[in-house]
Amino acid sequence: MKRIFFLSLICGCLFFSSAAAAETLWVTVPDAKLQAERSAYADTIAVLPLGTRLEQTGYESRWYRVRTGDGRSGWIYRGNVSTEEPAAAAPETDDGGGLDDLFGGMMDSSIEADAADSSRSIRGLSPEAEAYAQQADTPAQYRQALDDVLSVKVTDRELAAFKQEGKIGEYAE
Amino acid sequence: MATKKAITGTTQAVDRCRRHFLKTSALMGLVLANPVLAFDLNELLQGGGDSENGGKTGELLKGAGKILSSQKEMDFQSEFALGQSLALEGFRRYGLPLKSKSLQKYINLVGNTVARHSNRPGIPYFFVVVDSPLHNAFACPGGIVFISAALVELMEDEAELAAVLAHEVAHVGHRHALKSLKRAHLLEGVGQITAATMQGEDAEKVRQMVGGLQTILFDKGLDKNMEYEADASSVATTYRTGYDPRGMQRVLRKLEREQEGAAKAGSWFSTHPPLASRIEKAKDQRDKYRDDAGSAVVKTRFQRYKKYL
Repeated sequence: MKRIFFLSLICGCLFFSSAAAAETLWVTVPDAKLQAERSAYADTIAVLPLGTRLEQTGYESRWYRVRTGDGRSGWIYRGNVSTEEPAAAAPETDDGGGLDDLFGGMMDSSIEADAADSSRSIRGLSPEAEAYAQQADTPAQYRQALDDVLSVKVTDRELAAFKQEGKIGEYAE
Repeated sequence: MATKKAITGTTQAVDRCRRHFLKTSALMGLVLANPVLAFDLNELLQGGGDSENGGKTGELLKGAGKILSSQKEMDFQSEFALGQSLALEGFRRYGLPLKSKSLQKYINLVGNTVARHSNRPGIPYFFVVVDSPLHNAFACPGGIVFISAALVELMEDEAELAAVLAHEVAHVGHRHALKSLKRAHLLEGVGQITAATMQGEDAEKVRQMVGGLQTILFDKGLDKNMEYEADASSVATTYRTGYDPRGMQRVLRKLEREQEGAAKAGSWFSTHPPLASRIEKAKDQRDKYRDDAGSAVVKTRFQRYKKYL
């Protein structure tokens, strides 16, 4: 009798521990929205930075149900997370490393974010490229062309509206 | 008799202890085998660390990563300056940007949409359509991406455009051009590229680097494994963004049909691996993402902007 009770206890523990076991996910885009419902139009519970660790508690039609480290639960679009933890730095291999390092450079991207932010504030050619243009005797029209290219700015709001109009990703019907 | 009883009692006590030990071990094994509970235990051991930010340990590791990466790789500002210098040569070689601001903005919206879902989403990207009859696209280090009018003309929908731009973003993300320079020993002796170094002896080294990049990206092409890697990343990135992951296959098939009679020098035909093998690999990659119901093709909007070519 005792043996049956003990075996039941073991099986119960095994069942509940498996049910509680959840896959860990990491945010792989800058500023991912945690939504109250499985929709990009639902209330935003939190905006999660790149690299945030999440606990997956469910999956339904392209959306993960997740819980944050501080206990908030909500839904996040599958394209904004990965089961692979972003690496601290891209591996220095000399040739293609396959998809295993798809997210290899992600965290160092966040490390270099300060540099990237400052470059966003630079309008036009950098002083280094300007110096190169002078030394290489680059015609003015090419300098102007690059200036024009670097002056095109795209905001997060524009990107969201663009995806919404195209019914792309989290905005798909 | 009393001694026999005592021995029997001791044996039973040892048996009970052994059973308790086995039960407790089994339960502890189950608890520790569970990743969720193991994670909580780990947090407790770390003094209730902040899992969202990785805690103090995470901060320390991030700091270590910064030092290591600064020793291993060119910093972003230098990479971007090098990329800008190459872009100037890109206009010289492939022509000026098309005049339509609407089209250029559209290309930037598509490109930045996929770049957010790439392996390097933390840097700014710039995309430009140049007036070239060659079927070509290339990426400068630091995130300036060129695509020719001829290649856009060949496409039929936004998913195809997204695939090509995601391929180029992948080259930036994987730092393929810089790795190729390193192989050619053209990165040796160059630390940071600054306005000051551009005035000194290092200026010649930077010009050699830009020359090397032109040879690699405009004429010889990157290593074929890097191209296959960029194709695979493109399929994954478009899928993650929400575009139809078959976009890359469709573009490559269209290029295959155009191949005969098309100008080869300086185009994707001469700088990239054979189309047949790329199509096959792209198809294999796409097969990993069968659950792509609801993925977007976006033909109408693409056709609206294509008129600006």
